Amino acid sequence: MEQVAELKGRVKALIVRQLKLEIDPASIKDDAPLFGDDPSGLGLDSIDALELVLGIEKEFGIKVQDEEVGVKAFASVNALCEFVESKAA
Amino acid sequence: MNPLREDLPHVYPFRFVERTVEKRGPAEGRVRALVTVNGRRTEGGEALPPLTLVEVVAQAALLLEGGDPGIGRSGFLAGVSDFTFDRTPGSGDLLDVDVRIAGVLGPIVRFEGVVTDGEGRRVCSGAVTVKKGVAA
Repeated sequence: MEQVAELKGRVKALIVRQLKLEIDPASIKDDAPLFGDDPSGLGLDSIDALELVLGIEKEFGIKVQDEEVGVKAFASVNALCEFVESKAA
Repeated sequence: MNPLREDLPHVYPFRFVERTVEKRGPAEGRVRALVTVNGRRTEGGEALPPLTLVEVVAQAALLLEGGDPGIGRSGFLAGVSDFTFDRTPGSGDLLDVDVRIAGVLGPIVRFEGVVTDGEGRRVCSGAVTVKKGVAA
């Protein structure tokens, strides 16, 4: 359980750092959509997605080259954590 | 037909790179650019403005990618990041632009570029992000 929380913390910190967002990482909801117009989400766009791809590679050593995989993996913090865990397993 | 006119959508006076001098892989290699006092790129002075260097890196990336100029025309420069400028190149400088792909996600590509002068001194470095396709 602690590992999951730690991973979520790392992922949220990564999102804020990589996208140079001026928000508290803890304010990002685990299941909120990262992309799109949903007011509960971050409203990221496709350019931000590439930033996240580069950040994931740097932070976790995981490459994301397939756009379809990226769309699923970047759906939310929860989805991103599941993706990282699946690649690390 | 002059092949140099067909390898990029950019034409005079907005073409800033001359030719590929080394190809190391897909969109990776070295492109040469020349700063001349006669060139539009110096904007009447003898120095190449820093922002023009950003365009030099973007054009070098596109040239190395070897894409269709028609497709290139429908793409656009989507972002510029981490650029640092060490010196301003002046007329007579021969510039080498080394480019590599830093990341790809679908139609979006990030290129990293390093520009050096004829004596190997760094002129600038940074990254450009290009989105292929029509702007939304």
